[in-house]
Amino acid sequence: MRQLPYIMAINEALAEEMARNDKIFIIGEDVQAGVFRASSGLVQRFGKDRVMDTPLSETVVAGAAIGAAMAGYHPVADFMFADFMWCAADEVFLKAAKWHFIHGGKVSLPVVLFANMGGGARVGPEHSQCPESVVMHTPGLKLAVPSCAADAKGLLKTALRDPNPVVYFYHKRLLGLMGDVPDGEYTIPFGVADVKKEGKDVTVVATSYMVQHALTVAKELEGKISVEVVDPRTLEPFDIDTIIKSVKKTGRVVIVDEDTMRCGVTAEIAMQIMEKAFDALDAPIQRVAAANYPIAGAYMEQYVLPSPKDIQAAIEAVAKK
Amino acid sequence: MKLGKKELLVLYTNMLRARRADERIVKALQEGKVASFYHSGQGSEAVGVGACSFLRNDDYIYPHHRGHGLAYILSKGASMKAHMAEHFGRATGMAGGVSGFHGVDPEHGIFGGGGTIGSQFPVSAGWGLAAKKNGRAQVVLCCFGDGSSNRGTLHEAMNLAAVWKLPIVWLCENNLYAQWMPIKDAYPQEDIADLAHGYNMPGVVVDGQDVIAVHETVSAAVERARKGEGPSLVECKTYRYRAHSEGSADIAHTDPRPPEEIEAWKKRDPIKLFQERLLSEGIITHTDVDRIEKAVMAEVDEAEKFALESPLPDPSIFAKILYRV
Repeated sequence: MRQLPYIMAINEALAEEMARNDKIFIIGEDVQAGVFRASSGLVQRFGKDRVMDTPLSETVVAGAAIGAAMAGYHPVADFMFADFMWCAADEVFLKAAKWHFIHGGKVSLPVVLFANMGGGARVGPEHSQCPESVVMHTPGLKLAVPSCAADAKGLLKTALRDPNPVVYFYHKRLLGLMGDVPDGEYTIPFGVADVKKEGKDVTVVATSYMVQHALTVAKELEGKISVEVVDPRTLEPFDIDTIIKSVKKTGRVVIVDEDTMRCGVTAEIAMQIMEKAFDALDAPIQRVAAANYPIAGAYMEQYVLPSPKDIQAAIEAVAKK
Repeated sequence: MKLGKKELLVLYTNMLRARRADERIVKALQEGKVASFYHSGQGSEAVGVGACSFLRNDDYIYPHHRGHGLAYILSKGASMKAHMAEHFGRATGMAGGVSGFHGVDPEHGIFGGGGTIGSQFPVSAGWGLAAKKNGRAQVVLCCFGDGSSNRGTLHEAMNLAAVWKLPIVWLCENNLYAQWMPIKDAYPQEDIADLAHGYNMPGVVVDGQDVIAVHETVSAAVERARKGEGPSLVECKTYRYRAHSEGSADIAHTDPRPPEEIEAWKKRDPIKLFQERLLSEGIITHTDVDRIEKAVMAEVDEAEKFALESPLPDPSIFAKILYRV
């Protein structure tokens, strides 16, 4: 199978879907050049009316995308950094999330809210967040968090065919990660978790970049602890069934996510496992997530973010109990 | 557009419809029939009616929140029955009884409303972008108040609309108060229309109690937008008679609004002014006035009856409307 970097798989998904549906356009700051190269080359192919550079105005980037979605288009609002989405909190959390519901289903909002997330680039507290938990918390928003090139492409294509608002967070530490990407047409359905590695002793549920850390650790522990790595791929809709199936096999769980620990994605997943498979657990669930601090800048960042070492320690701790 | 007798009667009737429906909702709220809260729009009907009565069906509007959009949405063709039913929390309401007060009617270019004042600007920019992309000479009329003009969202949306020449009319209902905040303590100039200069677009002040003046001024801005010449700002000087919301204090900061101020504005009631003008110009007679009043009251009675007799929504609807499938 051919290999592509994660970011080029994203670029390919955008190009294919824009060719397929002329209602799709990309709107945001410097999207014609493409700050992370997600949309690079698309303006040359599709023109300035479909790859629209805006003034520095995140609120109206979101509002324009959401408004155009109501009026029959399928825009991609590119916030550049996920942290910048907060500038458009009203548009994302009150308008995109609620307007189909609150208007009795009469208004459609097919829009992709697209942003780069994550730490590990030492770019400080307002360019490094993984604000997944707030999105997952909000009824009305779907959330895709791809961990590899093939998923990045397939999930984005699904997002661009979904008649609802989809938040699509791609991780800045994955941009150059090479991966197998099938040739030709394929999509990945939302709400279907993927077992990235099979194992029998410990289930690690990991999201986005943390999936790659979990796979690295699982490999290191081979021969000692057999680790199963499950990637939910979308946090809403959320495939708890695949996770429960794995938990019933292993009886031991570690949940890894890069958002802040407190009230984070890990807390929600842990509670759902408790509710559905308490009797299958042979040890308390362990969580690995960002410490309850802002993401620190420069060299201090590493002391806030979850690391492979933390994941390994959690797996070993849960395996011993 | 030069208005003939037929159009003048449409303006008069729409103002009366908005006024009487508003009065009925206030009364119904006092009687415990209204499911949510209410922000009366009495006193400023000329703005929404003058602006919306002769828009195209496929033009998009973001109504003012007063009267929960009554003057705008009735003029745009939406149903009074459905508006009333929504306020009574019924399944036949504009939003199926799920919102309680938002007007929504996509067939008439009304995509709904939000709870945050100032959020109309960014989504209206999106409708303007869609209208421009559609290439069918549609326009967007985005209404806002003096209060909304204090929001930063205004800047981002007006700036983008001006740079991209989006077909939008920014229509300000300056009624002098943002809830309890007088405009003089919230904005450093006399006219909100002055903001237009910063965006290199026309900014016009108009008497918001004069429905013809509103209609003519907005029409010029609409035609400009239809021709692809970009957005305009129209500021209508108007007033609201009642408190910010039903049951809330009617104050400026902490003191009652001056009674002489309210009385002075009521002397310039938009419906009364227009009725006097139509009578004095011999366009209508007192018999016409009585006939229109009766017809409007019959519509209001029927809308209330429809609302009261409609079923409450079933909560099983939630699972069907969280997402579109």
